[in-house]
Amino acid sequence: MAMVKKVSATVAEVIIRESGSVYTLVLKPHGRSVRYAAGQFLHLALADYDPSQPWPESRCFSMQSAPDEEVIRLTYAVKGGFTGHMAQKLSVGSDVWLKLPYGDLFTREHSRESTVFIAGGTGVTPFLSLFAHPRFATYRSPKLFLGLRSAAHDFYADELERAVQLNPDFLVTRCFQNQTGFIDSEQVLRAGLAQSAYFISGPPEMIFYFKDFLVKRGVEPDRILTDDWE
Amino acid sequence: MKFSGKIVKIPFPFTDLSGNKSRPALVVSEPDAYGDLKVLFITTSNARSFGQVLELSNECYSGEPLPFASKLHLDKAYLLSKDLIVKTLAAVTDKFLEQVLRSLVMTATTDHQTTKNSARDFVPGRSRVQYAGRVFDAHEVKNAVSASLDFWLTEGRFSEEFAEKIADFLDIDEVLLTNSGSSANLLAFSALTSEKLGERRLKPGDEVISVAAGFPATITPILQNGLVPVYVDVSIPTYNIDIDMLKKAITPKTRGVFLAHTLGNPFDLDAVVELCEQHDLWLIEDNCDAFGSTYKGKKTGTFGHLSTISFYPAHHITTGEGGAICTNDPQLAQLVRAFRDWGRDCYCAGGENNTCGKRFTQQFGTLPKGYDHKYVYSEIGYNLKMTDIQAAIGAAQMEKLPAFCEQRKANFRRYLEIFEPWKEFFVLPEATPGSDPAWFSFIITVKENAPLTRDQLTAELNARLIETRNLFAGNMTRQPAFVSRPGRIADHLQNTDKIMNNTFFLGTYPGLTSAMLDYTEEVLRDFIQRAAVVA
Repeated sequence: MAMVKKVSATVAEVIIRESGSVYTLVLKPHGRSVRYAAGQFLHLALADYDPSQPWPESRCFSMQSAPDEEVIRLTYAVKGGFTGHMAQKLSVGSDVWLKLPYGDLFTREHSRESTVFIAGGTGVTPFLSLFAHPRFATYRSPKLFLGLRSAAHDFYADELERAVQLNPDFLVTRCFQNQTGFIDSEQVLRAGLAQSAYFISGPPEMIFYFKDFLVKRGVEPDRILTDDWE
Repeated sequence: MKFSGKIVKIPFPFTDLSGNKSRPALVVSEPDAYGDLKVLFITTSNARSFGQVLELSNECYSGEPLPFASKLHLDKAYLLSKDLIVKTLAAVTDKFLEQVLRSLVMTATTDHQTTKNSARDFVPGRSRVQYAGRVFDAHEVKNAVSASLDFWLTEGRFSEEFAEKIADFLDIDEVLLTNSGSSANLLAFSALTSEKLGERRLKPGDEVISVAAGFPATITPILQNGLVPVYVDVSIPTYNIDIDMLKKAITPKTRGVFLAHTLGNPFDLDAVVELCEQHDLWLIEDNCDAFGSTYKGKKTGTFGHLSTISFYPAHHITTGEGGAICTNDPQLAQLVRAFRDWGRDCYCAGGENNTCGKRFTQQFGTLPKGYDHKYVYSEIGYNLKMTDIQAAIGAAQMEKLPAFCEQRKANFRRYLEIFEPWKEFFVLPEATPGSDPAWFSFIITVKENAPLTRDQLTAELNARLIETRNLFAGNMTRQPAFVSRPGRIADHLQNTDKIMNNTFFLGTYPGLTSAMLDYTEEVLRDFIQRAAVVA
């Protein structure tokens, strides 16, 4: 993992989805290019960082861009004061401070045979950075189970289509809550082989549920890798 | 009652003492034993000022601002009795007052440095011609004072700035600061022993190739980690490893190459990198004497898996004590950081906690799950960090590095002119083909036909206050600390012994003046001519 660095960045694009409750930011970092691995996350601060003072209030966001891109993309849902402030304050040309990279989701040792990715809503974003990376082509028969509230919440269809082009064996299963209900855990279990890794990212309750289910059904805890923060 | 930070109306004396006028002023001290306090003049217009002027924006005030846009003149400072205060007009925030006081300290620091460092004339035969030394101005001292006023002490804002400037200069991804070039070598080498590298890790008993004609800090980390140094002879006049002998020195036990760019002269990087790739060897570049040298247009310190820099005062830039480790490999960077910071697994910066979001949920070693990650140690490490005051000096020095390198090259060329008439007696240094060294020094080997010995010449030069140095340890294998230590000599060290007996160097540091070099030329000519007559 690269050393953590603090960099300022300019908002290059803001994509507003779902009547203003979900936002995707495209950020252009200043100075030398930043290095990170697929699946890592960053701290974003709205206040100007004064190097003589402690790091200002910030929140963590997964980077959904591929590590070799010049920009960093991230998605957030407005859920509290900080993200509400982000939605109000950030527009094209705004400056933010970033501290990155953090996390080791895909750098932990894991099998690339029939890897199973389980995501809920915007929890798919850390996976997107891997799906857009040339390394994704080395995964054999990867499968994504993506839980969404409705078809209107399927924000990443283009990214997933490109991932299929990168790895034609990639199988995407969408589960719309308002149509077919939640992701079928039995189907998830069957999707993996004996050595397969299961990556889970999404709401804490979802992560807990699938982790617990998979362990109870005999999947070794080492093969279950999650993108969750305390 | 607290006075400092208040803006008061007070009669200001005219500078010719012909009268006074009541004006607003910022109080920047508490009254002394006589009731006098220091005030700074405020105007509403661009009044004549020879010092720094700060705008009093609305954010500067702790309450109601002055009714007019105002300017604070830092050079218009007076000591006046508090009894002269007519009334209080406003007050500034503590943050702004701190900024004002800091600016006053910075101005005084510049004045101090200008006085202290005013050029002293070089007097031939009475002034010393150093081989190396600090070259700095008020910028470095102001940065050091500023860091002292911050009193952050450990790695902070200046460390970030310094590391970033090095990364930009070298065009390398990761730069880690440490407390010396020797520590940099120790950390770079120790990182390669980490179990996290699996089968690639260096293990006790493995062999690492280096040279004996150099500084001990390139060899000691090999021994300190229980590995075996393999000493290969060097070529003259590049004073770098002999590539043919290096090829022959590689055995199945060889796992790494750890080499310095001798006195700024890059070793044959094409050949060494190719051999390392062929034999899957780690390469550490000891770049301590070559910060700014290039090889085929690329900076040294960017070819190996890891490289090191020294900021000891003799080097290209200085922080007093100090060093850095550079790499493009993120895993090696994290390992170096861990070895530098007590072996700690957590990578939170000083004063930060749980930036990874997994401080209390992971499991390491045989510790209980969730044991505080901040106190998990994954390496047998040290504490070798740099202070922010050192980094502040380094950040200022980086601005001067390109000019320093050019001056070193110019001084080297001048030495070539000086020694040209005597080249029948001396082996003059040559840059490695394809390289452009930012020379640490001008290295000379006295030929056997010379009418003087190395020791006679260096004794004369030093007696006449021209400093010289030998090529550090000469032949490392003959040093008392190394005689009985593990090590293998690859074939022979004939040139190394020759260097030990016949070689010395003169400084090329940017503090040398043309008068100093002219004096060196005169002393050299005088001594050689006398020696030739005697011979």
